[in-house]
Amino acid sequence: MKSFQIRTKMINGVAVLYLKGHLDAHQVARFEKELVRMIKESNFNILINGQDLNYITSAGMGIIMGYIDEVREKGGDIKLCALNERVHETFDLVGFTEIYDFVADEQAAIEKFSSVIPKA
Amino acid sequence: MVVELTRHIATLFQFPVTEAQKISLAIDEAVTNVIKHSYGNEAGHEIRIEYFLDAAGMRIRLLYQGLPPDISDEEVNIGRMIKKKKKGGLGVKLMKTIMDTVTYSTIDGENCCELVKWRKAN
Repeated sequence: MKSFQIRTKMINGVAVLYLKGHLDAHQVARFEKELVRMIKESNFNILINGQDLNYITSAGMGIIMGYIDEVREKGGDIKLCALNERVHETFDLVGFTEIYDFVADEQAAIEKFSSVIPKA
Repeated sequence: MVVELTRHIATLFQFPVTEAQKISLAIDEAVTNVIKHSYGNEAGHEIRIEYFLDAAGMRIRLLYQGLPPDISDEEVNIGRMIKKKKKGGLGVKLMKTIMDTVTYSTIDGENCCELVKWRKAN
């Protein structure tokens, strides 16, 4: 089985999920668990950093699809950044690039969130 | 393993690397669908995979027992799926987008999923 790792970090009020390796049906439960944890902790500005993600199947994309509506209803968003060409093309094949915000790098993605995060 | 095997065969058969990667992703999705929907994620069941290669392209057959597939011909609508908070259903869209044809049938009592990729004319 190919390896998959996930770690999370809060940056300027944005919950960043770093995905590494191979995200398929065998590994997707861990991704869903972390995403759900973020949402339950009321983190609705979520950034998926796929810089080290080598492969994704519909199982991984389906998790993003399943929670985006809830996150947007609560005023947040799920954005994706730093995907390699192959993974970006996989998202494009199902039409996600027209629905989700894909940003080239993490800093730019966090700045996009910052522009909508209400000031305390 | 089947993903690497398919990619290897497609590459050997001179599909461009990016095409070979996509074909192997389609097979990954097809096998995952069979394991999940026909075999209920139970271990120990068999899926036979046959490759047919010729000058026109590549035809891959998955033959398996278990429940027959419940595949709708309806176009997958991502916006509607998001509203329904669905997590599944993208695999068939990926398969149909990548391959030229994806058909489900029954052959001698076995379920058959056939995926075809034609070679592009130069």
